Amino acid sequence: MTRLILTLIRCLIVLSLMLLKPVWAVEIIANPDVPVSSVSQNALRAMFAMKLLQWSDGRPVRVFVLPDDNPLHRAFCKEKLDLYPYQLRQTWDRLVYSGTGQAPTEVDSEADMLSSVARTPGALGYIRKSRLNDAVRILTVE
Amino acid sequence: MKRAIFQLGTLLMLACISTATRAMDNLPDGVQLHGFASQSLISTDHNNFFGQTQDSASLGFTELGANISWRINPKVQMSAQAISRRAGETDNGTPRLDYATLDLTAYADETSRYGLYLGKIKNPYGLYNETRDVAFARPSILLPQSIYFDRLRNFSLASPGISLYSQNRLAVGDLSMQISAVRPNASDEESERTFLGKSQPGSIDSKTSYIGRLLLEPDNSRLKLALTGVQINAQYQPGGGDALQAGVIDFRSWILSAQYNAENWVLTSEYARRRIVETGFGPFFLNGTTYGTSYYVQGAYTLSPRWSVLARYDYSVADDADKDGIKFQSKSGLPAYSRFAQDWTAGVTYNASRSWQLRGEYHHVDGTFWLPYGDNTNPASTARYWNMWLLQAAYRF
Repeated sequence: MTRLILTLIRCLIVLSLMLLKPVWAVEIIANPDVPVSSVSQNALRAMFAMKLLQWSDGRPVRVFVLPDDNPLHRAFCKEKLDLYPYQLRQTWDRLVYSGTGQAPTEVDSEADMLSSVARTPGALGYIRKSRLNDAVRILTVE
Repeated sequence: MKRAIFQLGTLLMLACISTATRAMDNLPDGVQLHGFASQSLISTDHNNFFGQTQDSASLGFTELGANISWRINPKVQMSAQAISRRAGETDNGTPRLDYATLDLTAYADETSRYGLYLGKIKNPYGLYNETRDVAFARPSILLPQSIYFDRLRNFSLASPGISLYSQNRLAVGDLSMQISAVRPNASDEESERTFLGKSQPGSIDSKTSYIGRLLLEPDNSRLKLALTGVQINAQYQPGGGDALQAGVIDFRSWILSAQYNAENWVLTSEYARRRIVETGFGPFFLNGTTYGTSYYVQGAYTLSPRWSVLARYDYSVADDADKDGIKFQSKSGLPAYSRFAQDWTAGVTYNASRSWQLRGEYHHVDGTFWLPYGDNTNPASTARYWNMWLLQAAYRF
């Protein structure tokens, strides 16, 4: 009987932890001047890997990311790119230290992300759905 | 005195780096500055590795580097990197240009990109060559010497030339190709001793050489499969009173690389087969063809966001027809164990922050195939079985 109660308590704890765990509804955002409203997952992955450097009209892509250990960045990598954050870091390191590319611009907070994407032409980034505003364009991922 | 000058130089460079870091926010659009620094402490029970390490500890291994890149537009980028590397007697820290590359994209769309690199270019070789001096981009303090042979690092690192590249996003995964025509640097002491057995009065001049790599990354780059081909041509220029004649070296190598990236672990293996043809050196040299083999198997496991561990087995043999080196010993009088090496490695990494990393590493080695000549000038005083302990602190921005 005690064992059953203990098991029940444990289940309750696990359940409440699961409910407390934040749900990251991540949205891909771009500067309003960006000429598209949707993007394929392959193209998105290539843009965040700093290998696809231009939009369909030839305008440069300016990529903004949060730090590697930021929970939203981790959720974004998993949900939107299906990559582990360390894979992106490896790709950027290779480009940066071999002279064949550049790293994305790192911003410290979601507020910075939102304002940077809003004011930089060709900007691409991501944000929590609850933080969205009209200064940026939402890109749907096909 | 020399040490004092070096330390002063290091401090100045670090001061420049930190100033640059502070100035980074004010850089013009499209310009980026990055850099790295590492200092290692190395100790061995026998043989010397990057300094006087036997029964002692040496700070003889230091890496410093800084680079600037300017993305002028999506089709043009200019980049250059300077490095200073101290590695015992094999590298004295003299700053040098690591690469200076102009990247011209000829065509790009959503699924492909074609272009060329001009200038001094990092050689596309295996999985780690292009970033082998950056501690953060390596899995361990020392790269597996079987494939990333430090004796031939100048030879394989970067070379002046031209390189064509293509990148295609296919249904099976990303496919990238790069092929370079280069003139590698083979005129240093370690290369000379590797190819010619000992320091000779003349020098090795490279001719046009080729290196190419095909890289396929299925399953969202979780799997990486690469095939590298190398063909290096060089000619010996005899010096005054030289017993050797103007011989020719034809070095060819194939490297197969495979890596699997899971959420918490990475499994990596690379296998190489080399062929060295040496002809025309005259009667006082062992002209002929030698086949050699190298491979390693490596596993890394992430314990937590800060801690990870690594284990590796690394094997190389100079001559497949003389695996235990006995024939070589009877002909040359040099130790048989200098013709092979088996290295069992265990390592631990602590990522203190995004910019700071600490590593510890242990090597148990059977053989001295990749032991630096410069640090071990008398082959008779080397030992077949030896152990090495390393600690490294690394910084990057």
